[in-house]
Amino acid sequence: MDMLKVTNLNKRYEKFHLKDVSFTLDKGYIMGFIGANGAGKTTTLKSILGLVHADSGEISVLGNDFAQNEMALKQQIGFMFGGVDYYAKQRMSAVTDVVRRFYQTWDDAEYQRCLKKFDLDENKKIEELSDGMKVKYALTLALSHKAELFLLDEPTSGLDPVARDELLELFQELIEDGDRSILFSTHITSDLEKCADFITYIENGRIVASETKDDLIAMYRIVKGAKNELERIRPNLISYKKHSFGFTGLIKTDNLPGGMDLVAEAPTLEEIMIYHAKKEADNETAVI
Amino acid sequence: MKQLLYKEFKLAINPLYYLVALLSALILIPNWPYFIALMYFFFIAVPNIFATGKASGDISFSVMMPVRKRDVVGSRILSIIIIELLQLVAAGVFALINSVMYPGGSNLLDPNFAFFGFAFIMYAVFNVIFFPMFYKTAYKVGIPVILAMVVAVVFAAVVETVVILVPAVQVVLEAPQYIGVQLGVLAAGVVIFIIANYVAYKASAKRFERLDL
Repeated sequence: MDMLKVTNLNKRYEKFHLKDVSFTLDKGYIMGFIGANGAGKTTTLKSILGLVHADSGEISVLGNDFAQNEMALKQQIGFMFGGVDYYAKQRMSAVTDVVRRFYQTWDDAEYQRCLKKFDLDENKKIEELSDGMKVKYALTLALSHKAELFLLDEPTSGLDPVARDELLELFQELIEDGDRSILFSTHITSDLEKCADFITYIENGRIVASETKDDLIAMYRIVKGAKNELERIRPNLISYKKHSFGFTGLIKTDNLPGGMDLVAEAPTLEEIMIYHAKKEADNETAVI
Repeated sequence: MKQLLYKEFKLAINPLYYLVALLSALILIPNWPYFIALMYFFFIAVPNIFATGKASGDISFSVMMPVRKRDVVGSRILSIIIIELLQLVAAGVFALINSVMYPGGSNLLDPNFAFFGFAFIMYAVFNVIFFPMFYKTAYKVGIPVILAMVVAVVFAAVVETVVILVPAVQVVLEAPQYIGVQLGVLAAGVVIFIIANYVAYKASAKRFERLDL
């Protein structure tokens, strides 16, 4: 069942254009939403929640049109945008006392259980929490109102490697029973190697791919070859870097030519991202 | 809506600002432009409440909750109206004391029913300018608050000036035999206050809905 379906989302700003963004997140899975800074991750997430007005496109959550059922569907969504930085001077208990009133399904026992599990002291002020604890507090709130869809904007950025690893394990735990789905944006590709089932990759406002992690990697190959090979293969490459021995480039697996003396290997997610970003940069230079 | 209002008073608005109502005690000063006692509300409380809201991420927090965007605007406007009414009630108490202390009245407008009618209009003027201007960005407080403040102060100054310059007006607004007129001014003030707030809410909500947050 589709937990979240985004269809042809468009949003035009003066200098940035979100173009026909479409992807689907099934129930019970984690989707990593990757892209460079400014690629459109946050704008997409905000458009899903209606905080940014899309020029066109449809969002459906749990099979229902979001625009028409906003109030009811928001009850089922847990969110975190750019860290928990609201009401920094207030105690967690005061913020919770307000938040719980908004949700019909609020479960106090679950809230207490999460506080204990995450080792959160609700008498602490929000500003006293570390970045990792802030994410846990946001998750605690979401779990306590029985959210099924978690939309998390860069939950791992700013966390140390230990806290990040812990958080990623927690994500997997959350989806174990198959009732919840997580869409989280990140620019740290190693996060995704650890826990994402699906990856949606956005570059300059356009979705490059939305696939399972393995399929995404299988779609591309890193090719290495000597300088004299470059001219022949150049039109097929997404982008490439030259070095003293020859070149290294990214190519779609389908475009891999036969009969050439090339080394082709599976790329990392980071390489896919870097070479796509290089293509954008090269295009811009070409235009100038 | 109920939950948002709870949020306003529990998290967003520091209880300190209710104390601004106590500045209505300035109505006990003899021979004074009493509108000033009511102006501290928008000199102190409004700019601070909105600046604090900005610093604490109040709007981004509120719109994440399962609420409509227009309710975020409505609850904030309603909470400000509640504080305005609190201010007027406190002023009413001090006005009563004033009338006992100074049975001879003052050279300016006495704090009577007509005064409160104009006070309602002064707040109406402030609200109808400030809220729609603020919710155009939901971020910039300075210019909207200054402009609304200036117009409200000018309105009060015009009322007081007319009272001083035209003795007949002062008689009608203060003499016991014209109590009907004075009550009429109060009623008109209340009606204008209600209409202005409704207009302010509608315009603010419309502008806020359009914003990309």
